[in-house]
Amino acid sequence: MSEAPLYGITAEFANAAALLAVAQRLRLNGFRRIDAYTPFPVEGLDAMMHPPRRPWIPLLILFGGVVGAGYSYFLQYWAAVLSYPINVGGRPFNSWPAFVVPSFEVTVLFAVTTALFALLLFCGLPRLYHPIFNVPDFDRASQDRFFLSVEASDPYFDVERLRDIFERHAAIRVSVVPA
Amino acid sequence: MTELAQEQGYAPIIEPSVTLSSVSEQVSEIVLRPGAPRWWWVGFSFSFALFLLLVIAACWLFINGIGVWGVQIPVAWGFAILEYIWWIALASGGTIVSALFYLTRSKWRSATNRIAESMLLCAIAPAGLMPIFHIGRPGLFYWIFAYPNAMGIWPQFRSPLLWDFVCIICYVLMSIFFYYVGMLPDLATVRDRARTPLKQIFYGVLALGWRGSARHWARYKLVYLIMAAIMAPMVISVHSVVGLDFAAGLTPGWHSTQFPPYFFFGAVISGVALVIMLTILVRWGYGLYGVITAHHLNALAKVMLTGSVMLTYSYALEAFGPFYGSDVAERTMFLERLFGLYGWIYWVHLVLNAFIPQLLWLPWIRVRPVPLFAISLGIIVGMWLERFIIVITSLHRNFMPSMWGNFYPTFWDWATLAGSIGIFLTLFFLILRLLPIVSIAEMREIIHEERQS
Repeated sequence: MSEAPLYGITAEFANAAALLAVAQRLRLNGFRRIDAYTPFPVEGLDAMMHPPRRPWIPLLILFGGVVGAGYSYFLQYWAAVLSYPINVGGRPFNSWPAFVVPSFEVTVLFAVTTALFALLLFCGLPRLYHPIFNVPDFDRASQDRFFLSVEASDPYFDVERLRDIFERHAAIRVSVVPA
Repeated sequence: MTELAQEQGYAPIIEPSVTLSSVSEQVSEIVLRPGAPRWWWVGFSFSFALFLLLVIAACWLFINGIGVWGVQIPVAWGFAILEYIWWIALASGGTIVSALFYLTRSKWRSATNRIAESMLLCAIAPAGLMPIFHIGRPGLFYWIFAYPNAMGIWPQFRSPLLWDFVCIICYVLMSIFFYYVGMLPDLATVRDRARTPLKQIFYGVLALGWRGSARHWARYKLVYLIMAAIMAPMVISVHSVVGLDFAAGLTPGWHSTQFPPYFFFGAVISGVALVIMLTILVRWGYGLYGVITAHHLNALAKVMLTGSVMLTYSYALEAFGPFYGSDVAERTMFLERLFGLYGWIYWVHLVLNAFIPQLLWLPWIRVRPVPLFAISLGIIVGMWLERFIIVITSLHRNFMPSMWGNFYPTFWDWATLAGSIGIFLTLFFLILRLLPIVSIAEMREIIHEERQS
């Protein structure tokens, strides 16, 4: 068992409070490559386990929106002013108030599309296989159980020590996960 | 929970017997059970028959042209346009419930938002088909896309009709993305509970390998919040632009600055009415009394009441305008609308949309499924009549008496109406069978929060 390459070690808990307690403990003990798998978003769990990151996702979405705004306004400008100008009673070709509505719609469409792909990109999805799926009982992580994992690449990784910590925190089951 | 408390709307947001495992199991089993319940088959067969009627009506229309309908000059916009507005208003209700009330952090939204969004996607289908039926040469509808073409021309970007098209296209795509992101964790739950390999693969691929890790959730919450914050103003713009289609026309009864908000108020009341009807039916059909309680009906009914009050204000303003202004044509049209050939429609729609919903001020009505269902059905019929009034009675008394004429719907008009209901229900029954109809992940979050406090 110890010869095979490991993905890490996981512990299964019955509720979010137990998970939070042990995550806090690991964090204080210097573990960094830890993650939790829960059936619903647990308040503050990610912020506690992982260092804060720059707000790339909102910035990307903003960027998508700006591109959409520029694209749609330019398309209308191109059509109405450059490619096929029609003189309607001497009104300006670049009749921007009329172009605001389609520009708004395309802006938000681009922003939401960017949001979808940013979510997938930053979550590393789609990824249909992951070593964590080999953990016994892991199908309950999407229903009513809470899992905590420490990856083997963590500098403090030590199966026996982690097993001890997990068991002292009332883990239902501790499993070693092959890579 | 005592009867009295229930009547006053203090029902629990979730029944105490519902647990993390039971909600996951109950909602997943709806899609994972081997056969569908009998009521599903009855409903689906009926809907599919209506859908086939739409196919026949569309074929007949495409072969013969729009002369098979009752439309002619001066009433050149008939059932197709009024049903387009009707359906897009019903669709908007889905986003109102799911995006607007996500931003207000209303907990009751979680049990009903999936029903509302499924309804949205199903209602968009007939809404999108109707204008294509209406244009007379449906094969050329793609001319409205802005694409470089051999004719060297462009769509008219200054026209509200084009704005409307852009809105609908953007709205459909954004709604699908919002729906999918909201459903991702639930698809993972269904994947994890699936027993047959076929279903495991189907839901496994749809779930994209969602693991529910802390990183996933943190990003998911952020993206979902941003999406909701974008969708909420978006849906207001969609139905307002439909109002602009009319407001930009000079026809008496259309040329009014109040149309964009007026149309949006109509979307609130009718969309929420349809959400209430579907929620009551789904709750009854699948016995979801634990997760959809009187609390939810009460909250939805209050939103519908708000919509009714806002709409009544618009009706009053619409009646005030022609008499405050000095336009003879406006006044003639409006009097004709009240007392002419279609006068009874005006009074019926006023009763259904403005008067009967006032019953919702009574708390015990708001938690009773049967009267609530009846009032909602009345509103949906009333809103169809409202669209009839706006589209048809405005056109039938134009400025010149030489431009006066009546509209009589034909069999194919009614067949298109019935068929549009058919395509909506067919799609909705399919979604009921294939996708989790309650947001399981959000329900689990609510259970967690309720039990903690």
